[in-house]
Amino acid sequence: MSALVDIDGLTVGFRTADGPVTAVADVSFTVAPGETVCVVGESGSGKSVTSLSLMRLVEFGGGAILDGRLRFDAAAGPLDVARASDATMRGLRGNEIGMIFQEPMTSLNPVFTIGRQMVDGLRLHRNLARAAARARAVELLREVRIPEPERRLDQYPHELSGGMRQRVVIAMAMACRPRLLIADEPTTALDVTIQAEILGLIDRLKRETGMAVLFITHDMAVVAQMADRVVVMRGGRVVETGPVERIFAAPQADYTRALLAAVPRLGEMADRPAPEPMRIPGAPVPAARPSAPPGDAAPILELRHLTTRFPVRTGMLRRVTANVHAVEDVSFALAAGRTLSLVGESGCGKSTTGRSVLRLVEPTSGEIRLGGRDITDLGGRDLRRLRRDVQMIFQDPFASLNPHMRLAQQVAEPMRNFGTARGRELADRVADLFDRVQLPRSFLNRYPHELSGGQRQRVAIARALSVGPKVIVADEAVSALDVSVQAQVLNLMMELQADLGLSFLFISHDMAVVERVSHDVAVMYLGRIVEIGPRAAVFADPRHPYTRRLLASVPIADPARRREFAQADTAPIPSPVHPAGYVAPRSEYREVAPGHRVLV
Amino acid sequence: MAYLGNRLLSLVLTLFLISMVTFAVTHILPGDVAMIIMGTQSNPEALAGLRQSLGLNEPLLVQYGRWIGGMVTGDWGTSLVFREPIGPLIAQKAAASALIVAMSMSIALAAAIPLGVWAAVHRDRWQDGAASTTALLGVSLPDFFWGIMLILLFARVLGWLPSSGFVHPADDFGGAIRHAFLPSLALGLGLMAHLTRMTRATMTGILQQEFIRVARAKGLSERTVIWRYALANAIGPVVTVAGLQVGYLFGSIIVIESLFNFTGMGWLTYQALLNRDIPLIQATVFTIAAVVMIVSLLVDLLYTVIDPRVRLG
Amino acid sequence: MTTRGIVGGALVALMLALAILAPLLVPDTWATEMDMLARLSPPSLAHPLGTDQLGRDLMWRVMLGARTSILIAGAAVLMSLVIGLPLGVVSGYFGGWIDNVLMRIVDATLAFPALLLALTISAVLGPNLRNTIIAIGVAFTPYLARIIRGEALRVARMPYIEGARAAGTTDTMIILRHVLPNIMAPIIVQATISLAFAILAEAGLSFLGLGTQPPDSSWGLMIQASRDYLDRAPWTALVPGAAVALTVLGLNMFGDVLRDVLDPRHAMPAKPA
Repeated sequence: MSALVDIDGLTVGFRTADGPVTAVADVSFTVAPGETVCVVGESGSGKSVTSLSLMRLVEFGGGAILDGRLRFDAAAGPLDVARASDATMRGLRGNEIGMIFQEPMTSLNPVFTIGRQMVDGLRLHRNLARAAARARAVELLREVRIPEPERRLDQYPHELSGGMRQRVVIAMAMACRPRLLIADEPTTALDVTIQAEILGLIDRLKRETGMAVLFITHDMAVVAQMADRVVVMRGGRVVETGPVERIFAAPQADYTRALLAAVPRLGEMADRPAPEPMRIPGAPVPAARPSAPPGDAAPILELRHLTTRFPVRTGMLRRVTANVHAVEDVSFALAAGRTLSLVGESGCGKSTTGRSVLRLVEPTSGEIRLGGRDITDLGGRDLRRLRRDVQMIFQDPFASLNPHMRLAQQVAEPMRNFGTARGRELADRVADLFDRVQLPRSFLNRYPHELSGGQRQRVAIARALSVGPKVIVADEAVSALDVSVQAQVLNLMMELQADLGLSFLFISHDMAVVERVSHDVAVMYLGRIVEIGPRAAVFADPRHPYTRRLLASVPIADPARRREFAQADTAPIPSPVHPAGYVAPRSEYREVAPGHRVLV
Repeated sequence: MAYLGNRLLSLVLTLFLISMVTFAVTHILPGDVAMIIMGTQSNPEALAGLRQSLGLNEPLLVQYGRWIGGMVTGDWGTSLVFREPIGPLIAQKAAASALIVAMSMSIALAAAIPLGVWAAVHRDRWQDGAASTTALLGVSLPDFFWGIMLILLFARVLGWLPSSGFVHPADDFGGAIRHAFLPSLALGLGLMAHLTRMTRATMTGILQQEFIRVARAKGLSERTVIWRYALANAIGPVVTVAGLQVGYLFGSIIVIESLFNFTGMGWLTYQALLNRDIPLIQATVFTIAAVVMIVSLLVDLLYTVIDPRVRLG
Repeated sequence: MTTRGIVGGALVALMLALAILAPLLVPDTWATEMDMLARLSPPSLAHPLGTDQLGRDLMWRVMLGARTSILIAGAAVLMSLVIGLPLGVVSGYFGGWIDNVLMRIVDATLAFPALLLALTISAVLGPNLRNTIIAIGVAFTPYLARIIRGEALRVARMPYIEGARAAGTTDTMIILRHVLPNIMAPIIVQATISLAFAILAEAGLSFLGLGTQPPDSSWGLMIQASRDYLDRAPWTALVPGAAVALTVLGLNMFGDVLRDVLDPRHAMPAKPA
């Protein structure tokens, strides 16, 4: 069988301010008809550039195909994309090759209706009259399971949710029945349940139409779910290619092995009650740690019926007409030396809960107790003192450090504020902290931009540790990091916990990471905890429908355990905004096992 | 509708604030208003008389109250220089200015949008450099300097267009346009340069957005991608900026109308300022600020028509 | 891009040098000396840029004018920064009702075209050098306050500010250590561009006779004086006009390049794709 796509020796360069840069060098692989090939790699691996080259879209970003052949088996006969005319390429794009992109929120033109954007491709490639093109657009929207397709055609993109928009983009790409669909990180910006819907949809369309799929991703679990064959890339070159089973079972290249090892696999902790460090090949297996104290020990941090609402003001008089119920009647207890993970999808209130604990946002009602003391209404000096005991690590390592301050200064700042150390002693403490988070002391006088994302996150940890806190709130602290770096930072955090008896409130959307690092888990949905309990219990025996849906949506980094993603219509997500007088019901729980409670 | 109501209410509040600023600038600053009007050399009796007739001996709040009351009820007082009621005077001059403001805005937009798009499409290449440098030169020259150069070229050397005076469109439409052309061009050049830079910046941002890549991936031609998909997104911001520049234009007309002896609002304001005709200064300054506010409201409303995202308000 | 920066920088440096050095090296009388026999003479060896209607040498006059124009523009921008910076930072950082009240007033002031406000203030105060500075300074303050507020607001929302708060840093220290250093770059850029606008405003005010008054020399005044001799001696307008244009062009070019170099949003490494 001849290949649909045959890439041979592809080399792509970009002109930048610092001179020409080679982004992709000597890349070769093939895609057979009806096959899904996943190109996987970390940031800067050249995977996106490769896919854009196949559409010759690199040219628009200042890139150029410098060398190589990109044979595509078009309907009219094979041709070389690298040398085809612009007119030929326009005839291929959107017609024989469809493409979908990462950011559904910006993938559609905000000032045109959905209908107009769908119709113009059809009219261009299929010569359809307006009415016929519209009818076909309705069919396509139906095919991607968008409810009320006729109405959607006259809507604007901002009226649709992110998942729905990505379906529209897919429908547009499918409009002319392409022989190849290129999907460039199509689910990276989406929540896990919506990712599951989109992955299921792409897979179904592929089976129904027989098209081939070139799927670009950084996520090994998505690869395991989707791929027939895998191309692993790093630094602009192909590291390894092979069938998905072989890649996962017997990776040949060291890099692939390292990448796979660092990826947590959902379910692998099923019979292990305590958290375990991440696997890092080459690094020694960390010694067994003393197990954490039991969860029923006196809690260091306790929330009682915490509620945080943000007023929505409208009109001249800025009257409160509605409230965003970000956090609604949330209660939990966190014991010393343990990790409680808050999990849920974007907008569920997990970050606001974390920020409320530090009083970075003011809770509307409820109680926050730290070490048995009510800190909800502390102000001024007392509030500042509280902040010695609770520290925070933020998600974005590029934004959480002051770009104009030396690292040593930033780590020293909390100690200076609290007067815990000064002069020579302060300098020593800072240097010790750098050792503690495994950063070289030569970094002391550097600025944040000189560091990688993982290193910055270590600085943020050092800063949080500097005043000897009891609790650290880690808000998506490793989500922006590549998987190998993520494993190292997580291991550092677990080590610190064992050594210092720290408690973590670990806020994350990544169920596989949460399974590995937590003692306890609380699942949040629409501002409430819907299920809470020991990690092993919640993962093994999820009771709330939402927890079940969440867990069933997570792809597993193991091709032998592919999930069956249901093909339902996209359901609208209920809104957390309620009119001003709305009285929210209380959160009532049923205990299904010791410490394992489910919202009724 | 609630949106419109809110905006109107907000406009009234802002107009009120504007009136206070206007009054404050002419009254609270150090110096005696009567002295400002008549000069320091004038005789004490005349000063006292003027104070009396302008009501300057009363508390400031009372003076302000009487002034704002007059403005609201349509009694705008009498100009000290022109010895005419201010209301009709302003109405007549404002119409003249409306002509050159509209003409200069049309000239500026018609040139700036294509030029800005062209520069953005050829970003960082010679076309961009040429367009950007031209625009930079445009914003760097004082508009009265443009005016002088235009007078020199078109009126003196070529003798194509009149360099001075105003003709009412109702009397002689062609003459009105010809008289308004050079001042409009002088106003429009600087504005054009500014809007070109703005269009270029907006288009550059839009061309990097994902939906542009999606449009290309559909096989649409570059012409469609740039002039339909991208430009449709740029129009809103560009029109908004153009609307905000009406304020800048109203500053510039003072200079340009004086230069071209074009008897509009700018000329009137200048006469008021030169002669320290405080009642006329207050009225013209307030009117100009009020017009600027109203135009910006209209632009906002226009934006809700252009951009569907703000349609629901 | 860099050539533009060099050209802009060179122009600014040249004008600064003229403004600062010329008066030290050359007596003012060179610029005020009248030569009635050489009135309105075109550029020549004796008068490289020609003479004006009173036979004064335009080259020396333009240099003298540089001092006045740059002094007024610089002092006016400094004044609006001194008022606008605290207003903007407090408004943007604290938000809430302070922000509401301050920004309402700023918005109402912004409805007045800057040139109109400056002209009015100057006319009311009585036009002279000091009052020109005050007039332009007051007229520019709301613009700078608005921009500084926007920057302070942007920085105040950054996680590192929250991090500092979580680390127990007081508001005063957050503003001094974290907010100010991070809004400096855009403020410097904005000040540079404001300087260009202030030069234009000064020229406009003086051109209308409501700015610098004779015997002080300024570029706007020179253009004003040239109006009656345009046909016979166009260089009397071109010379001061070119001086304004080159200075403002230089400042704008320099500002553009500063923006590219200093703005952290550009310096930020690209997010992983």
